[in-house]
Amino acid sequence: MSPAGPARRRGALAAFGRHPGAVAGSAILVAVVAAALLAPLLYPASPWRMVQRPFVPPFTLERVPLGTDALGRDIAAGLMHGASVSLVVGLVSTLAALVIGVPLGALAGYLGGRVDDALMRFTELFQTVPSFALAIVLVAILQPSLSSMILAIALVSWPPVTRLVRGEVLSLRSREYVQAAIVTGQTTFTILRREVLPNTLSPIVVLASLMVATAILLESSLSFLGLGDPNRMSWGFMVGAGRTVIRQAWWITAFPGVVILLTVLALNLIGEGLNDALNPRLARER
Amino acid sequence: MIRHVVTGCALVLALSGAAAAQAPRAGGVANAVIQPEPPGLMLGLLQNGPTQMVAGNIYEGLLRYDDALKPLPGLAESWSVSPDGRTYTFTLAKGVTWHDGKPFGADDVLFSIEFLKQNHARARGNMAKVASVTAPDSGTVVFTLSEPFGPFLGVFEVGSLPMIPRHLYEGTDPKTNPANNSPVGTGPYMFKEWKKGSYIRLVRNPRYHVAGKPYLDEIYWHVIPDAAARAVAFETGKVDILPGGSVENFDVPRLSKLKGACVTGKGWEFFGPHSWLWLNNRKGPTASKAFRQAVSYAIDRDFARDVVWNGLGKPATGPISSATRYHNAALAGYAYDPAKAKALLKQAGYKGETVRLLPLPYGETWQRWGEAVRQNLEDVGIRTELVATDVAGWNQKTADWDYDIAFTYLYQYGDPALGVARNYISSQITKGSPWNNVEGYANPAVDAAFAEGAAAVGDDRRQAIYDGVQKTLIEDAPVAWLLELQFPTITRCTVRDLVTTGIGVNDGFRDAWIER
Amino acid sequence: MGLFIARRIGKGVVVLLAIVVLNFFLIRLAPGDPALVMAGEAGAADEVFVAQLREKFALDQPLPRQLASYVRNIVGLDLGYSVRQQMPVATLIGDRLPATLLLTGTAFLISLALGVLFGALAARRAGSLADTAITGVALLFYATPLFWVSLMAIIVFSVRLDWLPSFGFETVGAGYAGLARAADIAHHLVLPAMTLGLFFMAVYVRMTRASMLEVMGLDFVKTARAKGLAEGVIQRRHVLRNALLPVVTLAGLQAGTLVGGAVLTETVFAWPGIGRLMYEALLQRDYNLLLGVFVVSSGMVLVFNLVTDVVYRVVDPRIEAAR
Repeated sequence: MSPAGPARRRGALAAFGRHPGAVAGSAILVAVVAAALLAPLLYPASPWRMVQRPFVPPFTLERVPLGTDALGRDIAAGLMHGASVSLVVGLVSTLAALVIGVPLGALAGYLGGRVDDALMRFTELFQTVPSFALAIVLVAILQPSLSSMILAIALVSWPPVTRLVRGEVLSLRSREYVQAAIVTGQTTFTILRREVLPNTLSPIVVLASLMVATAILLESSLSFLGLGDPNRMSWGFMVGAGRTVIRQAWWITAFPGVVILLTVLALNLIGEGLNDALNPRLARER
Repeated sequence: MIRHVVTGCALVLALSGAAAAQAPRAGGVANAVIQPEPPGLMLGLLQNGPTQMVAGNIYEGLLRYDDALKPLPGLAESWSVSPDGRTYTFTLAKGVTWHDGKPFGADDVLFSIEFLKQNHARARGNMAKVASVTAPDSGTVVFTLSEPFGPFLGVFEVGSLPMIPRHLYEGTDPKTNPANNSPVGTGPYMFKEWKKGSYIRLVRNPRYHVAGKPYLDEIYWHVIPDAAARAVAFETGKVDILPGGSVENFDVPRLSKLKGACVTGKGWEFFGPHSWLWLNNRKGPTASKAFRQAVSYAIDRDFARDVVWNGLGKPATGPISSATRYHNAALAGYAYDPAKAKALLKQAGYKGETVRLLPLPYGETWQRWGEAVRQNLEDVGIRTELVATDVAGWNQKTADWDYDIAFTYLYQYGDPALGVARNYISSQITKGSPWNNVEGYANPAVDAAFAEGAAAVGDDRRQAIYDGVQKTLIEDAPVAWLLELQFPTITRCTVRDLVTTGIGVNDGFRDAWIER
Repeated sequence: MGLFIARRIGKGVVVLLAIVVLNFFLIRLAPGDPALVMAGEAGAADEVFVAQLREKFALDQPLPRQLASYVRNIVGLDLGYSVRQQMPVATLIGDRLPATLLLTGTAFLISLALGVLFGALAARRAGSLADTAITGVALLFYATPLFWVSLMAIIVFSVRLDWLPSFGFETVGAGYAGLARAADIAHHLVLPAMTLGLFFMAVYVRMTRASMLEVMGLDFVKTARAKGLAEGVIQRRHVLRNALLPVVTLAGLQAGTLVGGAVLTETVFAWPGIGRLMYEALLQRDYNLLLGVFVVSSGMVLVFNLVTDVVYRVVDPRIEAAR
């Protein structure tokens, strides 16, 4: 395989466009991003404000189209404002996981030997402890907030990145152009940055899109257990808060539940589309 | 010298309300929910709510109390108080045996007092004025006090002073005593098995000292960690008894409308759960009295009761619950008045500092209440941020005074000297415990009045003293009182006479029976 | 093979010890301690009470000494004592472990069996309506929050239809024994195992499908086809067998997630397993118990990984010890 070129990227874009699921997923994601951006304009008041009597069913009052929750807060406003929290949690925690996972994987794969062994043991350490349990403990230690949730999710989700990058680097290392760079005396850092990592980009992008989805699910699970940030309206919080009244007010959990489902679905579809387009060979690494 | 003697026939059937005409039937199994799972069942070592709820069937105290907090016979069949209020004489019920068949007697009582003074924080305080306890014979116990202690007759209920078997605990290390895992008491039901994470099983005590009682063959306490699942368990008929606090309040109206479901708010009079906001009197905006008064005016208590608590409970007007003795109903307290709150904030010179609000981590109801109060405070212009934490974090933050405003609720145990004073007197300002004067309010006049009220003899005298205290405290607003809480007990209507005293389900199932 | 297993066990022990030390400090960083929690629950407490509890929990000892004695115990296969529950940690975990293994094991088998079956079906008719339907439904189960599906399943199957019990491990007080008891437990197992299993099924569907499609394009399959072998035989003997290798690897990793992921399922269905035990121990700051659960569940993951590696070698003896 040669280094990624512009022509190949164009081909990939076309392949992505031919994937109907990926297009649908992208459309949903654009809608979610739009909701996050438009929330302050459409619902300038705080989503925590109690605007109507509690338990207004959906589609009955124009003022609150999706009904109100147990305290009379507007569900629609919560969904719009919650979009940004879910996106921020998903994106930032994934970025953080990449920041930890990519260098470790690259070093392990490139340097090999003892470094590889030590780094892999370290990775194993985090993969061995059940990840959801570890996330719960981390949030409990740091006390629930947006940042502690992001940190906890990042800390439990980086090991697959390391493994993936290590595998890719291991196979790239023996390529001629990398060997050539070594012969010309470039530093390890330069080789990794210039020659190796750019070629691991597409599998990382695919994995990252799925990690964002998983992070959003994790956030909702943590919130369900009452470990969410009480000052940020999030979808997970809405589901968690609504579950005790699920029997008399289905809409409080149903709407945020469906929105989480759609977003996670969209990200998975995008991930599949990217996978087919960028790297058909990748499926087995995950 | 004896002022009054009450005998064992003062039955409490009248309290049980409807259809008292029907005679109790023996037999049957009660399925109840216990939430959360208790850490153990040895009531002398553990005093948390779930422990008492289950172990209240196994152990007994000398007395019980009706819903007006009048003493009822328990292990003591009669009692008397000397006119100077310093000598209390108890005559024990006859023919009482421990679950293992050994007889119960006055030396068990003496042993229990010493045991509890070592291991039971509340008993230690309650017994502080006791100069000596003696047993003139095996059926009589005499307490002599160093000075009169008004609420003394109110400290003999099973949770406050459970009787511990001397023959199993004397000379042992109580913490590692094997009897802790299969508790032995004198109560109506005996411990049978505990499948951790699933259920606790109690069986009928055939040797129980009240003839004919108890009626049930077995009691199963089911451990179901999720609130929604607990509600479903009741709906599907898997459990018949949901004690107060075991389902979220939002579910109470729905469950109580189910066919064959009965609800009672009674059985908490002895505890008088009283909720308020601790306002940190030491630093920050809450150090200012005007600011604290503003907080009190800013809170919409009716909304909290109607929406968050689904109409259960009533607004608290001051430090003493209306269920507790010496409550003064003439004092109005703080009404919901945002305009007045804003004016007071201006007067306090509040400049928009962010105030940290710490809710109680006891489930969704408390979480929603935190959100509602935050909105109330924001509405009058107080910048408020909710602090998320779990039970351990909450305990540490309040015990270390690391908060601005914190939710709490405390039991009052029927008397201001037992459950109220501890939150306001300056000798109770000590770091490291979440159950004392956490707000840091210190007023020598209030200290003196509470001391005087505890030692005064005669209801009129004590009422006058506590009237003064309530007035001062309401004016100073050391905390913002919220609601007198109600924890409804939901049962199948076929479960009868479950709540017959002011201690309710925590007093055990000795009168309960199942209609068939 | 023997040497390989011995070396893996050695490495596993090192990882396990590191987990012990790391988590030992980690959980002590959490605010509050078990004494404060218990004092808080008592509804009344004074300094004497808290001090007594701290002494009882040995929290008055310096941290390094606490760690040293804990590690000493662990090496002697002793998980210590839960002072809060007045019982040895090993007993508490031992009581709960069978329930968790039953739940996660069943869920694991369901997800693996259904996942491979539907994945293979989808791959065989790649691009067809059946393929789209299978991958779509699998994805739907994956994308729906687990706790939400669980609550919905309870409402439909327990409350509305009254087919299945909504909580617990068995019917309490029914006095079943032998087969009747097994049937009763199985009845209680259906909802939690299905919801958990369907969630993980998606991963196997996708993995099997992708892996089979890849293998189908390989030369030896083309050769087999050219030799005129029946399509069914090719699929079973050649494609599926080779496609299963990555699935086995993933299954080994997934086994660990199943133990941790059971917290939510066990909470919603009141299943008396160690996931819930872990969560409760965390809230109560029951340090020894929490550490014990971590040690046991991590140990289980290491064992699963070892088993998968051995299986891997049996399935495909060409693999060298390079991994």
